[in-house]
Amino acid sequence: MATVTLDKVNKQYENGYHAVHDLDLEIADGEFLVLVGPSGCGKSTALRMVAGLEDISTGVMKIGDRVVNTLSPRERDIAMVFQSYALYPHMTVAENIGYGLKIRRMDKTEIRRRVERAAEMLELGPMLDRKPKQLSGGQRQRVAMGRAIVREPQVFLMDEPLSNLDAKLRVQMRAEIGQIQHDLNVTTLYVTHDQIEAMTMGDRVAVIKSGILQQVGAPQYLYDNPANLFVAGFIGSPPMNMGMGRIIRHGEGLGLRFGSRTLALTGSVLTDHPSLGQWVDRPVAVGIRSEDMEDAGVLREAAAPDSTLVATVGLTEALGSEIVVHFDLDVPPVENEETRALAEDSGADDTGLRSNGTRFVASFAPRSRVRIGDQIEVVVDVARLHFFDPDSGLTLKG
Amino acid sequence: MSTEAMLASELRDTSHGSGQSGHVVRLGSARGNWFRRVGWRHVVGVIALFFAIFPILFVVSAAFNPQGTLSSSTLIPRDASFANFDTLFSETSFWRWFANSLLISLLSAALSLFISAAAAYAFSRYRFRGRRAGMLFILLVQMFPQFLAIVAIYLIFVEISELYPAIGFNTPWSLILLFLGGALGVNTWLMKGFFDTIPKDLDESAKVDGATHAQIYFGIILPLVTPILAITGLLSFISTMSEFIISSVFLTEDSAKTAAVGLYGLISAQRNANFGVFAAGALIVAIPIVVLFQFLQRYIVGGITAGAVKG
Repeated sequence: MATVTLDKVNKQYENGYHAVHDLDLEIADGEFLVLVGPSGCGKSTALRMVAGLEDISTGVMKIGDRVVNTLSPRERDIAMVFQSYALYPHMTVAENIGYGLKIRRMDKTEIRRRVERAAEMLELGPMLDRKPKQLSGGQRQRVAMGRAIVREPQVFLMDEPLSNLDAKLRVQMRAEIGQIQHDLNVTTLYVTHDQIEAMTMGDRVAVIKSGILQQVGAPQYLYDNPANLFVAGFIGSPPMNMGMGRIIRHGEGLGLRFGSRTLALTGSVLTDHPSLGQWVDRPVAVGIRSEDMEDAGVLREAAAPDSTLVATVGLTEALGSEIVVHFDLDVPPVENEETRALAEDSGADDTGLRSNGTRFVASFAPRSRVRIGDQIEVVVDVARLHFFDPDSGLTLKG
Repeated sequence: MSTEAMLASELRDTSHGSGQSGHVVRLGSARGNWFRRVGWRHVVGVIALFFAIFPILFVVSAAFNPQGTLSSSTLIPRDASFANFDTLFSETSFWRWFANSLLISLLSAALSLFISAAAAYAFSRYRFRGRRAGMLFILLVQMFPQFLAIVAIYLIFVEISELYPAIGFNTPWSLILLFLGGALGVNTWLMKGFFDTIPKDLDESAKVDGATHAQIYFGIILPLVTPILAITGLLSFISTMSEFIISSVFLTEDSAKTAAVGLYGLISAQRNANFGVFAAGALIVAIPIVVLFQFLQRYIVGGITAGAVKG
């Protein structure tokens, strides 16, 4: 068990490509830290630097108290699970799991004991004499895990270990990996591009974009307090709705001009965001989570007109526990470098869809009976609005 | 589609047809069908077999034909005997030549396999300055047959023979040395292509598991490339076994000759060319190649990497 410390770690390739910028991370002993970001953001490179498979250009990398910058992987006492599993095809499952121990010239009976214990933990007992090609995807994934477990290393490194599994198996293995990590209490660095994995598995989540660390924190903290537009849009499913608004004077206090409507920024909003006063008559980027909106029709009392938005339903998805409603709002979309990165990551090319403004997604209670084409009033929980500086993308602090 | 249509028409025939005539139609069409789908392959196979076996039969026949001429040979020799073999064993140093051939072929095949595999691994896995240039260079060198350089090689070995007679002319070592360099290019390219199909994740995984370069190379990679090792080993064994031009320049003493050079000596004389003895020798030389082929056959199947990574 050990901490892993990255201090201003950089990776710059010979061709000049700067994959990782000044990465500062501290993974506590026994912690499960998830490194998440869109593909090509440098998260795998960071992991491979911890593993020793990539050189560190500048900065200091420590495992425990040892600086490991120049140590080879074998000297770092780490175990890694690859996306492709990288099982040795000519060896049986038992040989695969025990390979790292055999290389270290461990006693044969001890190897046997450890392999069998790991196999039991992973329910691989009857498979020990099979070759990898005789196993299913989920079983191969377990063998790869077993190979890491038996080594009893200081650190587990996992590089998108679930992305080759089908959706159902992925959910199951997600829970199993989480359980194993919890039982063994080994410091773990887990790389994924799937924010759901990040949210469900990590003690803490580090969001990275273009080689730059955006924010680190507990999953719920990141969800509730994103540091910038990118984190806000990346964490959470469906992603946070965003649109451009304008802060105006409204009655005694402030209001948010959002398309054709004005939302009164009452009570707690102003105490939570005292700096909003400085933004009067300036455009701000506004973020609303889907669950912070509700169909006005399901509320007992009529909502005040300055707490609702009006829209026409474009699409509904009934999930049983909630109804996901898509509608277009007459607000301009937030367009800056971060939202473009998000759009690129989701593979969305929906300029056509957004011609009428900006598409919003809300989760309504299942009693809501909205249909496609209905004109609806949407109540917004203004206390849970997120405000961002549209130029820098940073959340408005204070 | 045509098969189903035919089956349907057959069914109609049997149900509507009255007794015998319906059966005749069905049998006839079924047999035609069988020939179109399977039968013709047998015919082609028999022709191919005859085509392949004819020259072998001829050599066998010549070997057992005591008259020792090709013109008197028939496919089935009239009075077969071991006379040619007796002559071969008693009047020539055939066993010596055969041993020389085996030594040179086995050693140069094994050593060149080792060298080319190591080179191919480096070209496939490492990124170093001059990698592309190096690969192009060995390809370029390979474009010219080795005996184009025979004059230069000859001059070099004249010097070597004077300084280190142990690896000079009329020793198997001189030829082994030469063949090692000669086979490097093609083998390296061939193997590099195969090494490239082994996922790099395997190397890295072993590295993280704590394996050294040597352990990765011998323990993980080589077992996975056995098919290509078997093929290149076999090819280089066969080509050295039947190599003639360079061997004939290098080996002039009777006791140093390889089987190819020695046997040629038997038929090179204008007047007393003895093809019977030559054929007998050729038959024996073919044995190790056939045996090796049988032995390596099961490695030349590929598919051994299936299941390495997702699949």
